[in-house]
Amino acid sequence: MTSIWRAREFSTVLILLAEVLFFAWYLWPEAGRSHPFLNSGNFLLILKYSSIYGIAAIGAAVVIISGGIDLAPGAIIALTTVITGYLFVEAGWPLWAGASVGLMVGALAGLLSSWLIVRMRLPPFIATLGVMGILRGTAFIITEARFYDLSAKLPRNWHIAGISIDWLGPAVMIALAVVFQRLMTGYQWGRSVSAVGGNETAALFSGIPVNWIKTTTYVLSGTLAAVSGVVLAVVQGQGKADLASGYELDIIASAVVGGASLVGGRGSVAGAVLGALIFGVLRNALPQIPGATFYDRLIVGVVVIGIVVMDQMLTRRSGNA
Amino acid sequence: MGALEFKDVHKSFGAVRALRGVSFSVASGEAHAVVGENGAGKSTLLKILAGIARPDRGDILLNGVRFDHASPRDALAGGVGMVFQERLAFPNLTVTGNIFAGREITFAGGRLNHRAMRERTQALLADLRVPVDPDLEMAHASAATAQLVQVARALAFDCRVLVLDEPTTSLTDAEVDHLFRILQELKSRGVTLLFVSHRLPEVFRLCDRITVMRDGGFVGTFERASTTPEAIVHAMVGREPPARVDRAMPAMSAEPVLAVRRLSRTPWFRDVSLEIRPGEIVGLFGLVGSGRTELLETIFGLAKPTSGTIVVRGREVAFESARDASRAGLALVPEDRQRLGLHFNLPIRHNMALPRAAREGLGAIRGAREQQSAAALVSSLGIRAASINVTPDALSGGNQQKVVAAKWLATEPSVLLLDEPTKGVDVGAKFEIHNLIRERAAAGMACLVVSSDLPEVLSLVDRILVMREGALCGELAAAGATDAAVMQLAAHEVAVTA
Repeated sequence: MTSIWRAREFSTVLILLAEVLFFAWYLWPEAGRSHPFLNSGNFLLILKYSSIYGIAAIGAAVVIISGGIDLAPGAIIALTTVITGYLFVEAGWPLWAGASVGLMVGALAGLLSSWLIVRMRLPPFIATLGVMGILRGTAFIITEARFYDLSAKLPRNWHIAGISIDWLGPAVMIALAVVFQRLMTGYQWGRSVSAVGGNETAALFSGIPVNWIKTTTYVLSGTLAAVSGVVLAVVQGQGKADLASGYELDIIASAVVGGASLVGGRGSVAGAVLGALIFGVLRNALPQIPGATFYDRLIVGVVVIGIVVMDQMLTRRSGNA
Repeated sequence: MGALEFKDVHKSFGAVRALRGVSFSVASGEAHAVVGENGAGKSTLLKILAGIARPDRGDILLNGVRFDHASPRDALAGGVGMVFQERLAFPNLTVTGNIFAGREITFAGGRLNHRAMRERTQALLADLRVPVDPDLEMAHASAATAQLVQVARALAFDCRVLVLDEPTTSLTDAEVDHLFRILQELKSRGVTLLFVSHRLPEVFRLCDRITVMRDGGFVGTFERASTTPEAIVHAMVGREPPARVDRAMPAMSAEPVLAVRRLSRTPWFRDVSLEIRPGEIVGLFGLVGSGRTELLETIFGLAKPTSGTIVVRGREVAFESARDASRAGLALVPEDRQRLGLHFNLPIRHNMALPRAAREGLGAIRGAREQQSAAALVSSLGIRAASINVTPDALSGGNQQKVVAAKWLATEPSVLLLDEPTKGVDVGAKFEIHNLIRERAAAGMACLVVSSDLPEVLSLVDRILVMREGALCGELAAAGATDAAVMQLAAHEVAVTA
């Protein structure tokens, strides 16, 4: 199984490389001009914006592997930027304190989702759809159509320990991916998540604390979405209720492109992060193609379907459907 | 010339050769049985006949004409009706809706002609003597009714060949009698029957000829009149069954390791009291629906009793979950291995590690230990799998069952609860599972075995507890007990009703 997963992640890496090579070739500049896509500044930009999706996609992948679905991350991201922004800008708290409250709210949102799913027995789609509405609504109520300008209070050209703040998102994403990939493959918790997603009843019969496992996945997803929110607030310098709208679907798509099966039981954290990068490259490169502006959503949709269809064909051929 | 003829049918799934050139013919108007162990290729053959799978090579002839059908719909149109093993019904539709699903009678404009379908259903059900309301929702119908509705569906489309795949698995004896009377009658009307079953007594009772398959190949077709069940078993297994493991009788003086006192869980069972000592194998016999599965699940902490107590090694326990029960040294091998026992997304190595790991907590997995433990279980239980890294779907039913047993034996329980441990497994695997239970009992494990298989109960256990309608109604020592004595305790008139 581990080797299959490795193979699956390997193919995601190949897709990412193929994508980068394609755009490097397609956007090749005339002689004497610098490459608009293939330069380190642009790569940092891709990493920086992908990390907003990528961090949340780690949690989304875990929820999906457990057989659930979480529609709340986009709203959690927005609410976190608003709460962090309010406490930092309006209430005058230090940034770390505001961010901490934002993270706690994300965890609580996950806890609310899991309570609805585990105790009230709502289907995850409905529970998290409701939570999504509540959180986005809360963000609008707090801001009342204003937004909090963090950038004015943040230091210009901010470095922490000599590293530019632009690296914050990518660094956090990579660190979390490593930690959770390890937890999912080498620890009983991750094994239990897969077991619950593969066959919930059999998991219960095996003595796995199914409700507890489900609760941890939603709390994780909520918390990681809030981490994305903090990163977005700092990177973009804004706390705003309509940020990250529609992100929940891009986040889910990242996990799915990275090999997660919506039926549950299959997928990986590393794959989800790679999936987020695949989208990040698309979103960065497509606008640079003259005339492609109106096509980019369409192309993203086709790519999602194409990758998942290809994956299914490959798994079927290897006899591992 | 046969009504139905298989000519050199081949079919592979990936690297697995499910059928390797099967040829035999079924005469018009006969009842023909197909028997074989799990993995012999019977299911694949039926899938091809039903139009669900296509053969790689070979032909099926129906009345001498090449039967080229691409879907179950074509098969039905060609006069081949199927009654499947699983309850392939639409629980949300009525009996009438089920019979006509996909081939509804309509008016010219396409509007459903409910009256015509209802009347036809009524006639069919009367013909089969099934006293069930055509408007009954299928979810409320019994297993027997569901099977007979499938027969009615096949007849509604005037099929000349009726294929039945393990149709009696979930029926009581009285219901089997009813089904067989109807099948005999259909046969006398000239309908050809193709009957697939594990139960040789039923095969011998109904069928004129018996075709044996083994490992995807055709072994032979036998006349019922000139063969014996022993000869058929020999042909199916292709080897002598393993010798029975003998064991010493347990010391009856020992303290019971598990005691259940006046345990009730309404509405499933009431006032059940029983004790099991280390090394004992106790059988819990009863008809389907007598509350045995619910009793095991309650003992195992999966449901709370409404009253009564459970005592493990002298201490009263109140389990909140299967994990609690597992920590107290109990293990449950459930009946429905696909739904309750196995994770098809995980390799068997992980499947076998789950209960023990769940008991230990959520920490790091010790891969080397897990690997050793899995390899040891595979060899000690004789699990036939390509490797410990394959998923359970690559294993036959009997080997899947052994994996479920293995995952619980890994927890080294002192009480092993087994629910129908050999249901749907082939003869060879059945012997092996029985020997496994005997070995563990000889090593001091207490085993409580729920079974509806009377010969199994009589040959495997030390004591037989009989359950009827949620209550224990008797106890017999297995030595000297007879079929009749046990059935008398367990049975009561079961009519075929909705």
